[in-house]
Amino acid sequence: MGKVIVVTSGKGGVGKTTSTANLGTALALIGKTVVVIDADVGLRNLDVVMGLENRIVYTSMDVIDNRCELTRALVKDRRVEGLTLLAASQKNNKDDIQPEQMKAICEELRSNNDFVLVDSPAGIESGFRNAAAGADEALVVTTPDVSAIRDADRITGLLQHEGVEPINLVLNRLSPEMVRKGNMVSKDDVVALLNLNLIGVVPEDRGVISSTNRGIPLVHDNSSQAAQAYMRIAKRLTGQRIPIPEIREKGFFSNILEWFSGNR
Amino acid sequence: MNILKIFGRKPKSSNIAQQRLKLVITQDRVDIGNRDIKQMHRELAEVLARYFNFTISAAQMSLRQEGNSYVLIADFPYDNAR
Repeated sequence: MGKVIVVTSGKGGVGKTTSTANLGTALALIGKTVVVIDADVGLRNLDVVMGLENRIVYTSMDVIDNRCELTRALVKDRRVEGLTLLAASQKNNKDDIQPEQMKAICEELRSNNDFVLVDSPAGIESGFRNAAAGADEALVVTTPDVSAIRDADRITGLLQHEGVEPINLVLNRLSPEMVRKGNMVSKDDVVALLNLNLIGVVPEDRGVISSTNRGIPLVHDNSSQAAQAYMRIAKRLTGQRIPIPEIREKGFFSNILEWFSGNR
Repeated sequence: MNILKIFGRKPKSSNIAQQRLKLVITQDRVDIGNRDIKQMHRELAEVLARYFNFTISAAQMSLRQEGNSYVLIADFPYDNAR
């Protein structure tokens, strides 16, 4: 029996989809079988972030309406063994799916996969409720800014109310330089405010933009700090105990190297 | 340029963010807004005024998080200069 984990945040634009794509890929790279579900009905994006947009034939809506069997609706990722995507319908809206239907899909998928990651839409309404319906665990993604942190706390309250447990925190887009200068709340501040277990810190990384442009999740190339952070989170999700290292500030030299290698 | 800025005396914005978040998160969690706190403050003051002599203008009320619990701190200084 696999685990169903909802990836959520309350606020939009903090990196839920990027985190789902990278963690799903990372888990598959370490040999797990994974299904990533796009629960953002009407505004799907997980397919483009993973580079699978041209191969979507069926969506979760087709499964719910009995137009297609669940296993047939899953799109295989060709870059890594064991990773599949269940896309969201772009033509429907969030109220066309009921929490029990989403739960049934998660239940069926967990029976033959190690992990089911559900990418939640932003907000606290029906889309979020559907995404969380079948989940045992949650990953709350936040960035170190006031609105994202406040919303993360709000969503945490709702998840606790639904009995989702444990709820782990992913702190995304941290800039060690800004923290040092006192212009960004630190990892410890965020943990103290939200009172959640921190499962990983992902540094701010421009590479995320080019990886999204290409539709290849960052973790396929394990060279950046952000990719390594996602790999560590994936390993922690499998139960490995790996300490959270302090993020290094990029020095002059690594900036020059990046410039020459055309990564900027 | 502001002289305080040159000498770096301006409070760090990260600390300001942290303080502001502490307050809003606490209010969100206990589901009470500033307006409710002000109203409660007025009502408490009315009741207390029947028993004590205190300076209403000096009274303060705040909601704070202490560890995992929330504490409502009401500070109504007793006025003995009757």
